[in-house]
Amino acid sequence: MSNPQEINGGSCVAMVGKDCVAIACDLRMGSQGLGVSNDFEKVFNYGDNVYLGLTGLATDVQTLHEVFREKTNLYKMAEERQIEPETFANLVSSTLYEKRFGPYFVGPIVAGINSKTEKPFICGFDLIGCIDFAKDFIVSGTASDMLYGMCESLWQPDLEPEDLFNTCSQALMCAMDRDPLGGWGAIVWIITKDKVVKKLLKTRQD
Amino acid sequence: MGSRRYDSRTTIFSPEGRLYQVEYAQEAISHAGTAIGILAKDGIVLAAERKVTSKLLEQDTSAEKMYTLNESMVCAVAGLNSDAGILVQNARKSAQDYLRTYNEEIPCEQLVKHVCNVKQGYTQHGGLRPFGVSFIYAGYDDIRQFQLYQSNPSGNYSGWKATSMGANKASAQTLLRQDYKDDMTLAEACELAVKILSKTMDNTNLTSEKLEFATVSKDAKDHVVHRIWQPDQIDQLLKDSGLGKEEDDE
Amino acid sequence: MDIVLGLRIKGGVLVATSKAATRGISVIKVGDDKTRELNPNTLMAYTGEAGDTVQFAEYIMANTRLYGIRHDIELSPSAVASFTRNQLAKALRSRKPYQVNVLIAGFDPKTEKPTLNLIDYLASNVELPYAAHGYAAYYTMSLLDRHWKEGMTQEEGVVLMRMCIKELQTRLPVDFKGVYVKVVDKDGIRDVSALVYPDEYPEAEVTEELEVQQGEIAA
Repeated sequence: MSNPQEINGGSCVAMVGKDCVAIACDLRMGSQGLGVSNDFEKVFNYGDNVYLGLTGLATDVQTLHEVFREKTNLYKMAEERQIEPETFANLVSSTLYEKRFGPYFVGPIVAGINSKTEKPFICGFDLIGCIDFAKDFIVSGTASDMLYGMCESLWQPDLEPEDLFNTCSQALMCAMDRDPLGGWGAIVWIITKDKVVKKLLKTRQD
Repeated sequence: MGSRRYDSRTTIFSPEGRLYQVEYAQEAISHAGTAIGILAKDGIVLAAERKVTSKLLEQDTSAEKMYTLNESMVCAVAGLNSDAGILVQNARKSAQDYLRTYNEEIPCEQLVKHVCNVKQGYTQHGGLRPFGVSFIYAGYDDIRQFQLYQSNPSGNYSGWKATSMGANKASAQTLLRQDYKDDMTLAEACELAVKILSKTMDNTNLTSEKLEFATVSKDAKDHVVHRIWQPDQIDQLLKDSGLGKEEDDE
Repeated sequence: MDIVLGLRIKGGVLVATSKAATRGISVIKVGDDKTRELNPNTLMAYTGEAGDTVQFAEYIMANTRLYGIRHDIELSPSAVASFTRNQLAKALRSRKPYQVNVLIAGFDPKTEKPTLNLIDYLASNVELPYAAHGYAAYYTMSLLDRHWKEGMTQEEGVVLMRMCIKELQTRLPVDFKGVYVKVVDKDGIRDVSALVYPDEYPEAEVTEELEVQQGEIAA
């Protein structure tokens, strides 16, 4: 209870492949030990090619999703185009830092493909918006320690979309199994230049 | 004319009970390019005349009289474009605020009412001038399906089946009254819009440079879609309705 | 240790709230209704810090009804839940947050779907088939996991509700003085406590009909 980031539980992971990215989350939302919902998605998309994973305090996950939906919608109308992943990452960073002395208790990760350069992009943040750029993978949430271990042993460069899906799913599922605050199903998004696939993983329900 | 004593401040009625500044604002709009809106059974079309002032003017590809307000609404502007920008920004923000609080799109009439309340405020508070803009709004919501509204600088608004504003609004209105049918399809409404603009515009030579189009309709999956047309789409419509450049010589 | 419990049935939602109002170790009221009718098709059940609860519930109720009057159309239950969440979220980072947990039970006449939303004092909002706040959750969730089924009838729902209440009466260390049970469906909000406690609500027998004029009794 003392750590707001661990009241509701949940994890996210993003990985880079060959001209593709994957981002995945579990579906549990709990109140400490008690499971409350098995349908709580933590990955949101803003436009066709930008995805945001939000772990941490569920209320802040919902608030931030609503805030970013508003900001990206206004951006889309003002710019007459959709936001790019790099731009969105800076939007996340500055939005979080605005609340430097009363932060949102979240661990966001961004994944997407730049529509101009067609380059995959992933990054993570701490709760006050410090960006962590990565070429390989980003993890966050109550299973982040386990996810680091899984990603470091399973990930390799230039995975094709299908292989990236398998690697990402296996990493998340195995990490979840050792996390009492996570699990209860998972969602995996595989994003390529002109195709996005969303998959639901059943997983253990205990 | 006794107007001079009463027109410098928007807050003051003239002895005849008129608000001159508001009337002047409405006058300003009657010089703007014509814009019309037509409600069809499966969608709405907005069409407007763009006044090209100079050959040297950079032809911006993006529309300047059509604005997206949210996922289910677009509007056309007549009057001062800079004033319109402020109101549009305000409308977009309040539509998004509504979406954030209720996780539902704002009902069309509520958004129109909101913009009109802002407009009305400027006809009453001293020292400020009214917004010199009229809007035609096209939108869809679950409460009243496809809807067409028009608002003017006084802050009044009303719902329409077909309406017009700007220069030549009277002749456009007459043509609309003649040719509007209750069971029109969106495609027919688009053709009617081109036809009317071709008659009301001073320039007989219709091109995509001088026209702007926007539509609200539903796609195959029954989702609401709105789009502001690209020049090539307008050219195609002109060609299909036989009013394009090709027939200049007739 | 208030009980706030809800479950979705076919075409409606059942909500049970305990009748005891307590301060410290004393029960100070036995007929406390911990619900408010937000609009004709949305019911809020609440629990939490004394004082905050009624203040907050009535604030939401007033705003929801005001919306109905202003716009001549009622908010959908899910919109009410989002609005409630937003108000709680705003309060959470204020000088004094509301410590209120609520359930929002509703029937949307437009989509004809019943919904049940669980919102805690942190303003996490989730849509669920069945939900409970506080200690009641620990005792009833396993029963609901086992016996709740999609598309249960009202009768089946009442039976399941009775099982939950019986379990709570057995396991909770204090008497919560029974519950009020309400249903929200296409016909609006009704008290159906009599269905859950048939013994305590004997059918009133009319033996004689009297016509009483105003002022007659006093005379």
